[in-house]
Amino acid sequence: MKYSEETLRYFESAAAAGELNGPGTFRGAAGARSQGTWVQFDLRVDSGLIREARFLAFACPHTIAACAWVAERAPGREVVGGLPESVAELSRRFGVPVEKRGRLLLLEDAWIDAVTKAAPR
Amino acid sequence: MSGVGRPVYLDYAATTPVDPRVAAAMSACLTLEGEFGNPGSASHSFGEAAAALVDTARVQVAAAVGAKPQEVIWTSGATEADNLAIFGCAEHYRERGLHIVTSRTEHKAVLDPCRELERRGWRVTYLTPDRGGLIHPEQVEAALEADTVLVSIMHVNNEIGVVQDIAGIGAVCAKHGGARLHVDAAQSVGKCAVDFAGLGAHLMSLSAHKVYGPKGVGALVVAEGGCGGGVRLTAQQFGGGQERGLRAGTVATHQVVGMGLAFSLAMEAPEAESARAAQLRDRLWRGISELGGVLRNGDAERSVPQLLNVSFEGVEGESLLAAVAGRVAVSAGSACTSALQEPSYVLRALGRGDHLSESSLRFGLGRFTTQSDIDSAVAAVTQAVLRLRRISGS
Repeated sequence: MKYSEETLRYFESAAAAGELNGPGTFRGAAGARSQGTWVQFDLRVDSGLIREARFLAFACPHTIAACAWVAERAPGREVVGGLPESVAELSRRFGVPVEKRGRLLLLEDAWIDAVTKAAPR
Repeated sequence: MSGVGRPVYLDYAATTPVDPRVAAAMSACLTLEGEFGNPGSASHSFGEAAAALVDTARVQVAAAVGAKPQEVIWTSGATEADNLAIFGCAEHYRERGLHIVTSRTEHKAVLDPCRELERRGWRVTYLTPDRGGLIHPEQVEAALEADTVLVSIMHVNNEIGVVQDIAGIGAVCAKHGGARLHVDAAQSVGKCAVDFAGLGAHLMSLSAHKVYGPKGVGALVVAEGGCGGGVRLTAQQFGGGQERGLRAGTVATHQVVGMGLAFSLAMEAPEAESARAAQLRDRLWRGISELGGVLRNGDAERSVPQLLNVSFEGVEGESLLAAVAGRVAVSAGSACTSALQEPSYVLRALGRGDHLSESSLRFGLGRFTTQSDIDSAVAAVTQAVLRLRRISGS
């Protein structure tokens, strides 16, 4: 399969891959390895702002690239709402084939899971 | 060895580069100064010269597979040969029976014609291999019915490299009497000994481009008699009566000359080449297996040395292929259908789960593979797997 330059750049660097632990960190996940795609986001939150984000992904290059991009842009954002870009926008950005859009929905589910846990009550 | 700046090529089971000697022989059949004549034009020397080259190629191919020259029918490749064998045999013997036996690990060029025959009213039994990928003669024997007219089992599996016991299966077919044996041997020549007559086969499909010959040419060997008995086929193509009336169309002199020479070259010191390939394959396996969480697919004791198929735990298949693509050219153990990859049906037939069937790589070694290529491949795969396992938290 051909991937866009941006997809390959984020897939190959995946700079935000990893986990966060300790006080003020919140974890969200979606999918299952047994079903081919699993995504996890860890957010370190302070004063209602995301200070740091990491991800783990058992997924295709498109999904890993999108996770890396989302995690990279998370710091400084308020812990409310959805992804920095919608699934449709992420699909366009990384040239995700329509057959694989469901994997980005899992990414969104994992993000929302983490944000929901981190949001002030 | 690969060209400067290109990935290491380890996909020789998909196709091989044309041997320069083969390319030169083919070129000599194309232009005015060469033997460009139509081999079917018996009325002048141009045609006669081309026909002589075609005859020589037929002898070369026959010699490489233990057949008689007159049993070699040129085709456009192994896929056409498989189609001619399966449809031609099924239709010719339809009054005797409508049952076919094959296996779940055959190439699509066999499975798809069988499925088409099912749609047309034939019954097909698909045998399941053991965990090593082998079909045993007793399985074939148990599957044979009174009206079985064709058994189609491949010689060397294209994904995992296991070599089937064709002689044993041939003996079972001979005992049955009515079942003709077709063998897809597209991956065999140059990798292991092939003896068409000795195996008891009635039909054998061959390909040139897996053996350092050109794409676009192959052959179907059609037994004319002997210990295994002959076989008759209903032609699937009409328009000139070439190739004993079984494959109409002008014979492509340059293509068959290339195939003949390629097969002849493959017979030069095959044991030494196999030993060299085995050393490289073992070095590759040792290097990769140091990763841990890797599983070798196919019976290692019954495989050709040029193929190694490995599943990797903790990595996603498409990402694995993408991660190594820039440094080593290999095939995934999965098939791309549209944008989604599907687990290899061959590995699933061996009992591998979806994940391991998808996260596998097929390494195909060949004539031009060097130890340096192997070391580069080990380094690339190791780095990719470790990185993806880190990203996935495995």
